Amino acid sequence: MNFRAIAAIYKFEMARTFRSIGQSVISPVVSTSLYFVVFGTAIGSRIDTVEGIAYGAFIVPGLMMLQMLMQSVSNAALGIYFPKFVGTIYEVLSAPISVPEIVMGYVGAAATKALMIGLIILGTASFFVDLQIAHPLAMLAFMVLTCVTFAMFGFIIGIWADNFEQVNLIPMLVITPLVFLGGAFYSISMLPEAWQTVALFNPVVYLVSGFRWSFFAMSDVPVGISLVAIAVVLVLCLTAITAIFRTGWKLRS
Amino acid sequence: MAPIIKIEDLEKTYENGFQALKGVDLDIEEGEVLALLGPNGAGKTTLISIICGLAKATKGKVTVGGHDISHDFRKAREMIGLVPQEMSIEIFERVQANVRHSRGLFGKPRNDEYIERVLKDLTLWDKKDNRIRELSGGMKRRVMIAKALSHEPRILFLDEPTAGVDVELRKEMWDVMTELKKSGVTIILTTHYIEEAEAMADRVGVISKGELLLVEETDTLMKSLGKKMLEIELDEPIDALPEALAARGVALGEGGATLEYYYDTAAEKTGITDLLAEVRKAGLTMSDLSTRQSSLEDIFVDLVAQQKEKDEETAA
Repeated sequence: MNFRAIAAIYKFEMARTFRSIGQSVISPVVSTSLYFVVFGTAIGSRIDTVEGIAYGAFIVPGLMMLQMLMQSVSNAALGIYFPKFVGTIYEVLSAPISVPEIVMGYVGAAATKALMIGLIILGTASFFVDLQIAHPLAMLAFMVLTCVTFAMFGFIIGIWADNFEQVNLIPMLVITPLVFLGGAFYSISMLPEAWQTVALFNPVVYLVSGFRWSFFAMSDVPVGISLVAIAVVLVLCLTAITAIFRTGWKLRS
Repeated sequence: MAPIIKIEDLEKTYENGFQALKGVDLDIEEGEVLALLGPNGAGKTTLISIICGLAKATKGKVTVGGHDISHDFRKAREMIGLVPQEMSIEIFERVQANVRHSRGLFGKPRNDEYIERVLKDLTLWDKKDNRIRELSGGMKRRVMIAKALSHEPRILFLDEPTAGVDVELRKEMWDVMTELKKSGVTIILTTHYIEEAEAMADRVGVISKGELLLVEETDTLMKSLGKKMLEIELDEPIDALPEALAARGVALGEGGATLEYYYDTAAEKTGITDLLAEVRKAGLTMSDLSTRQSSLEDIFVDLVAQQKEKDEETAA
């Protein structure tokens, strides 16, 4: 195992993040605050409680999930797409680094950044609402698992993409609707029955539900099923990545 | 001694069906400078890309220091530094940090002393804290070399190090290469400039259309390439070449109006003076004289023709 190479990629990617730390942090903080103003205060004041939880607090896990998913996907996608675009990928490809090592470096860095932003949003949220976290360790575990899994998904998109539009397309067109329809701002039980069944095909429902359980010890679907759902996505991404590097798809001609 | 790089029957066909390499065999000795000479699209970069791990071979085998490049890729790649043709570099990074990063990618422990020496050798030490985008084109190229040397490779690949650079910078690059050679690094460079191969290389491999036409000591090759042709236009066409001229190797051009004489510019005696005396003796009147150096293209045509002859001979 070439640990130094993993560390080199990780540090390089983190340095890129910290070069633009202002933009990286300000944008999620501002958008989260806006969500709180709109959903938490303006609309939330009329909703009162969902399943016995103040609406403002209820949406915190969903908001964190939304930002973490977006960030992990787009960071990882850009992280690998950018060197491909400017040509510096040659260095990684010609170095004595194996596939899992490359993935660990890039995905690790993208997941770290998404995790940091998740925590910053949690901090921002605590200014607006009163938060009690029922299972803090489980909350952290969910955050790490989600960030790593979706950073892998982003990594695949970055390798697949041939231009910047495609890099942005998936987070915009897939992640955002899935999160909005995945119960980030409501409980699945509030939907008409037919839609509840449809919602169960949305993987984000399981993420948000499990994550919400770690906050309020209540969930739409059992926590075990949430974990299985994340595991399935993780395995799918791992399989795809292994196949990509084995065949050299879009990387080695 | 076993060659440091051994290439056997290497073939590469791209997905679009283009065959970039058609069975290349080549041994590269440790410590030598080998120039791969060939026109654009000859397969030089493909060859390098396969050895360095950027592309996959369709067929054939390559070992570096005895390590197979696909099965034992870590050991093989550890020995190699690559300076690609394109200027591919993270412009927002700082020089020293970026070179350190390259060393890390190759799994080597941090060694600031060594990096300092590399940067000083490449006269980059003053710029070590500059962002790469602040550097001139020549400096950027040096940073790419520093990155390639950061993990103390025993072999350095330079893909067209002087393509599109001005005369001064080319000289600089040659100096850098000379220093590297002195330190014992095996250098493989690709170029389409004959002068560059002549100035730098111990051996020259000529590659064209995916085939390695020949590999020859530079001196030997340059002698055969350093030929010029003297063309003498005659006032009146002649039917037959006077014997005295034929004995000197003169040939009669088409239509009998010109005499063609090939001579070696590097030879002690070119034989031109004697030849002109013979022409006069034969009673021929000259209307014009011109000389022509064989161009790179002529040389390729020649080499291909020679290669074919050789093949036919061995077949027979």
